[in-house]
Amino acid sequence: MPRDHEPSLNEKQFVTQALQENLRLDGRELDQYRPLELRFGDQHGVAEVTLGKTKVLARATAELTVPYPDRPLDGIFTISTELSPMASPSFEVNRPTETEILLSRLLEKTVRRSGALDTESLCLVAGKQCWSVRVDVHVLSHDGNLTDAACVAVVAALRHFRRPDTSIAQGVLTVYTPAEREPVPLSWLHSPFCVTWSFFGEEGTTALLDATWLEEQVRVGSCTFSMNQHGEICQIAKLGGVPVDAVALLQCASVSLTRVKEISDLVDRRLAEDLKRRDKGGFMAELRAENDR
Amino acid sequence: MATKHHVVLPGEPIDPSLIPTHPKHPLRLGPGLRHIPPEDIVPTVAGQLITNPAKNSMWIEYNSNRYIPSQNDLVLAQILRSTSDFYLCSLSPHTAPATLPHLAFEAATKKTRPQLSPGQLVYARVSLANKHMDPELECVHPSTGKADGLGPITGPGCAFDVSLGFARRLLMARSREEGGVGVLEMLGGEEGGGLAFETAVGRNGRVWVGSESARTVVIVGRALQETDRLGLGLEGQRKLVKRLVREIK
Repeated sequence: MPRDHEPSLNEKQFVTQALQENLRLDGRELDQYRPLELRFGDQHGVAEVTLGKTKVLARATAELTVPYPDRPLDGIFTISTELSPMASPSFEVNRPTETEILLSRLLEKTVRRSGALDTESLCLVAGKQCWSVRVDVHVLSHDGNLTDAACVAVVAALRHFRRPDTSIAQGVLTVYTPAEREPVPLSWLHSPFCVTWSFFGEEGTTALLDATWLEEQVRVGSCTFSMNQHGEICQIAKLGGVPVDAVALLQCASVSLTRVKEISDLVDRRLAEDLKRRDKGGFMAELRAENDR
Repeated sequence: MATKHHVVLPGEPIDPSLIPTHPKHPLRLGPGLRHIPPEDIVPTVAGQLITNPAKNSMWIEYNSNRYIPSQNDLVLAQILRSTSDFYLCSLSPHTAPATLPHLAFEAATKKTRPQLSPGQLVYARVSLANKHMDPELECVHPSTGKADGLGPITGPGCAFDVSLGFARRLLMARSREEGGVGVLEMLGGEEGGGLAFETAVGRNGRVWVGSESARTVVIVGRALQETDRLGLGLEGQRKLVKRLVREIK
């Protein structure tokens, strides 16, 4: 496995020294995100998130399958992440690096364990048939802060996705094709987002949001908060690193809430725009008998 | 003076009327062109064809993503590790490392040579480069023994990545007229408010900017990267410099 490209000593020293003057290389504020762009594909369930130069693509799909024997009333929901060699030659397919394992664990705890997707609604016939929803996350370009970008992509893809409509009559399950009945959205309870803080300095005194790849190589600690816009925290992950003052962490949490509300608004707006774009004319347009000339 | 012609694609033969002629000098082909005897001159890369009738030479200006070392190029290398006789340096990530001998520095003997650690940036010249061997670097002029500004980079500053074409334009002798790049002069002049900094431009797409003030380094680095990314002309560069000096405190 080719070793990852390390930044030079000069760059590392400069980044640390500049942060002591609260100066970042790209001129951002310490708590400012890079411009976050969210785009949807033509197919339902494809979301692409661009955070500066970091680019993540998430794709949600569903298929019919048998539920787990110990959970006959629940559907199946899995998130799989893949850091492709497109992002960096040091990533290999099917050989998970530490970055990939941490990323998939954080996404798992944030989206799956918090119950953002109601798995009971995915069950069709208890013990026999259920939907298996699967989200594939592909990292196309890595310039820092994969966690936040990947979380936005997963949430947006799941909210954008439409599964085929079903009905049960006298114990017989019918699955309708998109031509017969419009696909329906998933049963979504709340939208959690991740906010990752990076700490610098000897005692972790300087904290900043949305680190670029270079800043990630230099940081001495990091902490990821996952919460939704109502302030309900799903998880907080601080995996080692420099010990940080508890009061500082509480301040980070409250700033994270503001950011999560902004991200949540952005996702809502983009989803509404996409819905409007697909629904040209609406109901009346379908009922019109005029020909296009 | 060099004349610029239209953009050419690899494989299409050059129109004979564009090929310059000279009574005394033979025709010299520069990078990107290949001679297929007896008469065809065919480009191997996509780019703009430039001819210089005075010296009877022609070449192609192109912008590629991968740096291919060529002799006498000035590059900004990063030390990976040290072996018994030389340092292994990286010119661009995930490519074969270049060798820099321990004694290829000014006035270096086995006892007085500079001790460089992994991760250190070095400004060097490519002394040997061909497609069959790993490239070799040196930090001293081979005949005079003087460094001429080459050697390890010390002092506060940071390295920035730019595209290869932009690095080449920065390294031109008359970068403002021929390359259309005046941003460094503007930053040190009145538009930038007389910032004090020094630069080391590597043909491998890395530029080091050094200054006592971190704010200056950030302004210069961002000016270079934005000019490169947006492809700004001289007027655009002037506006960019003024905006950056105003925005970054």
